[in-house]
Amino acid sequence: MCRIAKLPLLTNGLRFVALCTFIASLNGCAVMKNFQEPGHPESEIKRSTFPVAGGEDVVGRLAVIKLEEGDTLPDIARHFGLGVNAISAANPGVDVWVPEAGERITLPLSFILPDAPRKGIVINQATMRLFQFKGDSPSLVVSTYPVGVGTEERPTPMGQTRVARKAPRPTWHVPASIAEDHRKKGDILPAEVPPGPENPLGEYALYLSKTGYLIHGTNKPASIGLRATNGCMRLYPENISMLYKDTPVNTPVLIVNQPYLIGQRDGVLYLEAHTPFEGSGAGDLEKIDAKLRSIEKQSARTLDWKKVKEVQAEARGIPVPIFEMGQGYNEDVKPIKVEHPETLYGRPALPELKLEAWYVLAADVREEIDARRLAAIINHQGPPIPARVLSKNNGYRVVAGPFDGISAAKEAAKRLKIDLDIDGIVIEPVKQI
Amino acid sequence: MKTRLLVISMMLVLGAALTGCATSGDLEKVQAQQNLINAKAEQALQDAQAAKAAADAAKVKADDATARADNAEKAAAEREKIAEEKAKRADAAFQKSMRK
Repeated sequence: MCRIAKLPLLTNGLRFVALCTFIASLNGCAVMKNFQEPGHPESEIKRSTFPVAGGEDVVGRLAVIKLEEGDTLPDIARHFGLGVNAISAANPGVDVWVPEAGERITLPLSFILPDAPRKGIVINQATMRLFQFKGDSPSLVVSTYPVGVGTEERPTPMGQTRVARKAPRPTWHVPASIAEDHRKKGDILPAEVPPGPENPLGEYALYLSKTGYLIHGTNKPASIGLRATNGCMRLYPENISMLYKDTPVNTPVLIVNQPYLIGQRDGVLYLEAHTPFEGSGAGDLEKIDAKLRSIEKQSARTLDWKKVKEVQAEARGIPVPIFEMGQGYNEDVKPIKVEHPETLYGRPALPELKLEAWYVLAADVREEIDARRLAAIINHQGPPIPARVLSKNNGYRVVAGPFDGISAAKEAAKRLKIDLDIDGIVIEPVKQI
Repeated sequence: MKTRLLVISMMLVLGAALTGCATSGDLEKVQAQQNLINAKAEQALQDAQAAKAAADAAKVKADDATARADNAEKAAAEREKIAEEKAKRADAAFQKSMRK
């Protein structure tokens, strides 16, 4: 009786051992190793501060991440300290607002330092990145943050300047030109906007000696990596707070425009190309090609010009190895696989639906993807407007809200009209009996 | 001499009569064969016509399928283009909304 009772246990035990052996043997397979290669926790990924070794120009390392349902590229970009320009360029063909879940995307967390003195703050407009140099060689450290820069009509001025003064919780004195732009859209701005969620300067501002230009935070974080300012440079709120703390008054600030960068690390020459701004680029291309020809001449070896031209044409904003300069070539340049974080920092929150709340019907569309894209765009306004997709019989609705009262709903509808040209319809609360 | 001639004549007549009998049997046989061959030819012709008709029908279907595939491809490309344009328009609107 006792033996009979123990037999299934023994069989199960043997099965378990066999299963373990099988799994262990699979682990030995190269294919399985590749398949099972664990991702690194995102806390291990260096985003902004890097030591700069003497004679080296490239910092950081590329990473890859698998997208999850509901991710948007701006959310991933912000979590990893990237601008929306950088993540879009590195992942051509990936939908910014509605990417496919399961898709692997590149996090361009490797940067070639601008061709400029490594002192104070250097901003490369073309790459939309700010570099803050701290300390001296051999313990030089660089902190780098993505920025939003001036539009084509109101570009960020180039050249040397300095931090003239600093201010926490700055008041925005609305320039006449911006007030006029808003007035044309039916939006009357006050003469000054106090600190708070409506203030586009965010929580901190560094006033430059070039009058009227600032490095500041933002109430529109999704604009980082876009040409969307009136000449100022804006940073993510979490980045401006660090930069503000680390930057004394009189720090030199150099603003450059370098879409093509070359630099070396571990004996390898890298080329990083970005799409140049309108009307520029040809001269920059000539300059960089001349530099490359000079390197080619010095080394007495031939450069792979086909590859150079490919990198320049693709303009993915990623340092690409193009030339082995000498000894010490490090082949371990595979991107790091990053685990998807549980929550993405700064991702707009979506409050629960409430029957007693007010809403704004933003759109009624047939395709789900259009609805999801619009909802994501509305969610990423600054300050954010919560929006979601509701399905109906033959299509989808994009509904903004919930809002506590009619005035908040009307204000949201007004913003949708002014900023996105959407004619929203205010929806009353559901009357409960 | 006469008798000899008579015998020869009779033999010739008999031979001729016998030859006539053999020719008629052969003719029937040949006719039967011809009929069979004709029938077979008819069948072959019908088969060939049927095959041609089937081939023609298949060609029509294939042409139709190709035309449909072309149309579907065009429609898909058109849809993709429209979707891309929609995405571009949405992105442009978003970028504009990000200004101060």
